[in-house]
Amino acid sequence: MIRQIKAELLKVRSTRTTIGLLLGMIALILLFTLLTGLLATASSFAGKENQRQFFSLSDLAGVFSALAGVMLVASEYRYGTMRPTILFTPHRSRVLVAKTAAGALAGLAFGVVGAAIGWALGYAILTSRGITIALSSGDVSQLVLGGLASVALWGAIGIGLGAVIRNQVGAVITLLAWGFVVNPLLFGLLPSVGRFMPSYAGDALVGLTTSHLLSAAVGGIVLVGWTALLAAAGLALTAQRDVA
Amino acid sequence: MTRVVVADSLTKRFGEVLAVDALSFALDAGTITGFLGPNGAGKTTTLRMLLGLAAPTSGTALLFDRPYAQLERPALRIGAVLEATDFHPGRTGRDHLRMLGQAVGVPDARVDEVLRLVELADAGRRRVKGYSLGMRQRLGLAAALLGEPELLVLDEPANGLDPEGVRWLRDFLRSFASDDRTVLISSHVLAEVAQTVDQVLIISRGRLVVESSLEDLTSRVGGAVRVRSAQPEKLQAALTHEELKATASGDGVLVVHGATSERVGEIAFAAGIPVHELVTEGASLEEIFLELTAEGDS
Repeated sequence: MIRQIKAELLKVRSTRTTIGLLLGMIALILLFTLLTGLLATASSFAGKENQRQFFSLSDLAGVFSALAGVMLVASEYRYGTMRPTILFTPHRSRVLVAKTAAGALAGLAFGVVGAAIGWALGYAILTSRGITIALSSGDVSQLVLGGLASVALWGAIGIGLGAVIRNQVGAVITLLAWGFVVNPLLFGLLPSVGRFMPSYAGDALVGLTTSHLLSAAVGGIVLVGWTALLAAAGLALTAQRDVA
Repeated sequence: MTRVVVADSLTKRFGEVLAVDALSFALDAGTITGFLGPNGAGKTTTLRMLLGLAAPTSGTALLFDRPYAQLERPALRIGAVLEATDFHPGRTGRDHLRMLGQAVGVPDARVDEVLRLVELADAGRRRVKGYSLGMRQRLGLAAALLGEPELLVLDEPANGLDPEGVRWLRDFLRSFASDDRTVLISSHVLAEVAQTVDQVLIISRGRLVVESSLEDLTSRVGGAVRVRSAQPEKLQAALTHEELKATASGDGVLVVHGATSERVGEIAFAAGIPVHELVTEGASLEEIFLELTAEGDS
């Protein structure tokens, strides 16, 4: 299994897809942190919740981590490398479990880079504007560790989604529509259901206290549940379907 | 002899279409077998079932006595190439091989070794999108060779190769099989593999129509010998005496069926008839092939 994970991590590293996603992520986190940090009024940074919101901007990394996960599966179908991959490892569940691990590890790397940039820049902006940091060290730990966990899980979610859908364009569109349209719509219209969507479970995990959100612990469990659900569906379908 | 591949009543149905219909055959170790049939005859589907990529509707396919997916690290015994284009264009050829090799514990040194073997050592660190079709074919072959397999399964490996590449492939497969290793190679053009293979499996519409050695196949449909001499009537009589059928086609020419050019020449010599021209006009292999697969159609 270690060998297979190594092989999957080499797949992640050996094309420009991952570095492109990483650069996109860095650009977006820089942009949002700069815009919010420099343009918002000082009063909008008052209190813990506002500052949590500001520092959780680096969780944008989750989208890019999920995209990297989707690509690690869907690009294998797109370019046909799934054929040799399965010829070399006919235990398809082994391939998919290794991909899930590699997706989570890649996601973790995205999360670390995103958090480092978001926190360093955010902290510099707030202190230079003379705004007192209201967050306790416990708040910061939860924001950072919860954020890393959710970004890593997004990587694994991307693997499951890619394995279920297989088509690269279809999987990317599904991911973006789910994350940016379905999740917020559901949360806005039916918060009692929407809060179980992974984006909002992730918000709960890092300690945001927006109304209707789940508790941090339940949020974490729900996010793991989504990952497990998609991994199970991906495993079942991959075992059963012919590789064209 | 060791049976390396055994297909037993292998069948694959896609909805209404019976793509492979109760196909049974066996391959012995050390042979090169051409798996032939027109496009759409079910060759690739059969290979995918052999290799565990597609599940048979019914029947079994065993490689080294077990289904592919149940072999422990099959890439170390079996090398296969199904598509010449199975590469991420943005990945280098070397990384493609490394990512496959790492999954089964093949060291990077072996990666460099197979790159040299297929003459891609210089191109290994370039991205595949810059490769020609022939280079891609060879990179696919390199991947199949990573695990030093005893059996090679290649689907249409000569597609898109220039004549030099075809010759390279032929020489390579010959030397590969000389060491009691086995090759199964599919093609829709018999002539492409005729100089390489020992035996042929010909399928048409998912059914096996011929399983024979290449020699038997050639003699089965039989060629004709065209002989021009100064005394065609006398030669015809001599041939008839030897129970050979000879037809006059004018200008001193006889066409003899069911005999080799050597035999016809010897008969003429024995009869004291000077021969001006002696040509084997074997029905070309391609004609044989078309005829056989047309039989399958009816």
